[in-house]
Amino acid sequence: MSAHEPQAAFKTRAAAALHDPILKIAVERTAGTAEAKRAVAVEAFPDFEAARTRAAAIKDHVVANLGHYLEQFEANAVAAGAVVHWARTSQEACDIVIGLCRQAGAKSVARSKSMLGEEIGLPHALAEAGIARVETDLAEHIIQLSGERPSHIIWPAMHKTREQVSELFRRSHRDPHAEETIAAMAESARRHLREGMLSADVGISGANFLVADSGAVCTVTNEGNAELSLVPPRLQIVTAGIEKIVPSMGHAVHLLRLLARSATGAALTQYTTFYTGPKRESDRDGPEEMHIVLVDNGRTAMREEGLAEMLRCIRCGACMNHCVVFRQIGGHAYGGTYPGPMGAVLTPAIDGLAKTRDLPNACTLNGKCQEVCPVNIPLPTLLRGWREKSWREGLEPKATRAGIDLWAWFAQRPKLYRAATATALKSLRAMGRGGWLRKVPMAGGWTRYRDLPKPAAESFMAQYRKGRRR
Amino acid sequence: MSAREAILSRLTGKTPAEVIRAEAAALLLAPERPAVDPAQVEAVFAERLAVPSVAASYERVADWTALPETVRRYFAEQGIPPVLCLPPDPRLRALDWSGFTLHDSAAPDELAVLAVARLGVAETGSLVFETSPEAPMLPNFLALHHLVVVPEVVAQLEEAALPGAQPRAHYWVTGVSGTTDIEGTYVRGAHGPRFLHVIRLAG
Ligand code: SF4
Repeated sequence: MSAHEPQAAFKTRAAAALHDPILKIAVERTAGTAEAKRAVAVEAFPDFEAARTRAAAIKDHVVANLGHYLEQFEANAVAAGAVVHWARTSQEACDIVIGLCRQAGAKSVARSKSMLGEEIGLPHALAEAGIARVETDLAEHIIQLSGERPSHIIWPAMHKTREQVSELFRRSHRDPHAEETIAAMAESARRHLREGMLSADVGISGANFLVADSGAVCTVTNEGNAELSLVPPRLQIVTAGIEKIVPSMGHAVHLLRLLARSATGAALTQYTTFYTGPKRESDRDGPEEMHIVLVDNGRTAMREEGLAEMLRCIRCGACMNHCVVFRQIGGHAYGGTYPGPMGAVLTPAIDGLAKTRDLPNACTLNGKCQEVCPVNIPLPTLLRGWREKSWREGLEPKATRAGIDLWAWFAQRPKLYRAATATALKSLRAMGRGGWLRKVPMAGGWTRYRDLPKPAAESFMAQYRKGRRR
Repeated sequence: MSAREAILSRLTGKTPAEVIRAEAAALLLAPERPAVDPAQVEAVFAERLAVPSVAASYERVADWTALPETVRRYFAEQGIPPVLCLPPDPRLRALDWSGFTLHDSAAPDELAVLAVARLGVAETGSLVFETSPEAPMLPNFLALHHLVVVPEVVAQLEEAALPGAQPRAHYWVTGVSGTTDIEGTYVRGAHGPRFLHVIRLAG
């Protein structure tokens, strides 16, 4: 695929998003609330800065010793009765999951929201295999009904208004809400989903943490849907990125404190569960079998190729809630599984830079994302790294390259550069009306939405020289 | 090469296990966390249960024998019929539940369950549970009213860990099943409990 097609696609998606007035309101409501709540929680936390440094150090320690910890995790999970599988690619991961479902003769799976599941295309793979999928997270249920992809990693349906949700539920729930309130809509989903969860043959989830010293898999949810999806079925399948490892529960505790505060402003998520192996012989409930699929899908390459810091990510969503670009265009415009700043770093690593080179450019580099990231990922630096790589590999469009080459040619000839600037200033001033430029040749894209201030009569350098002479 | 070998061959380093262990242990020293005054553990626990994201009701009773009467009163206040899901925990089963209809596995539309937490955690208002033959997990996620007996309270989350062999599930409940998935508006009782009532055993 040429670099130009996706560029057009991104620009088209972003333009459509900018023209959608409902989207802006919907994104603003949820991200704005999250931003305010996080600020209160961080303010109340004793030394959040030091806590964030420690969190980054924990993740760096794990990533540096990933082989050691994965083997330790595997040995402990197996000792507890789980079966551990390894997958290099998303295809391998999906094949393992579908194979397990088929072996069990599964007709339906209950799925608890997992970004890794989205990343590897599990919903699609299940559909292709003819296995019914019950999305149990309320937001995932909404987007399953609307046939869309998540637009945020914590609130996948944040782009939907209550009116749109109401219509979806009325169309597909057997016994939909009678009143037009959000509480009544949630109740309608509760009635609708419960049966699907209790009768599923397989429960599938991701993992927030994999605890190396016990072999436990940790999930966190506010709805309790992970537990309702993973306890009743006979078979439990966990798909987890290999970077989800922590050395012990104590390390998970530190990260959990930061995760909930950064995501929703709460001190802790409502339900935090550590699953170690399948049900014990005389337990009253729990699955007969537990399978854990450890997924690489480009992570070892990220570690080797200068993106190790990105493997610190605990998927809290704070970077997108605080991103000026995300707040304008929402998550779908990014086109990948992961939106916002973290998505702009991850998507090129997962889908290839040639197809996604616009994402690192859709950033003002204001640094807010790194400031709020609970594991202090240098997102702006990593984004700049992608921009440089895109330039080195010749992926930038011809017009951009030609423009920059032209500028470089002048910039290396100071006299000529100054003369050209003086001429440009004169012509720009001649085009201005009342201090503003409404239209500028070759910059129509920019001036369509805003006016440019009329430039000063002389360039900064010219004024500086005059000042020195005086 | 198997996928396992292919992945591990790129990740395995030369650092000796003892060095890794020491580094990991050092990362846990003097953690930043909300401080809980050891003299105020009970008060902080009660306070945390009341914050909006937890929003549990709370009462203290003298001992186990006070439970049936406490539950009866709660049911009357909430207008719930006296049908109770009671796990096969001998400490609960030994009590006098006359007037109640009991069952030990939860119905899909279960109204109320009474369960015993191993611990309460003051830092977050969390309730710590483990699965066992006497403590099924599902009822605590199906019932609309989650009533929880708390025999002991600790200060910090780190103390919640269960030493030694792990059960199938070790879980922390910090409030009710809630969602903000529609326009960021908070709704209680998304899938599981809408009400959480904590009964602290004082003795
Ligand atoms: S990059 Fe940082 S802020 Fe963004 S989701 Fe990951 S952990 Fe959260």
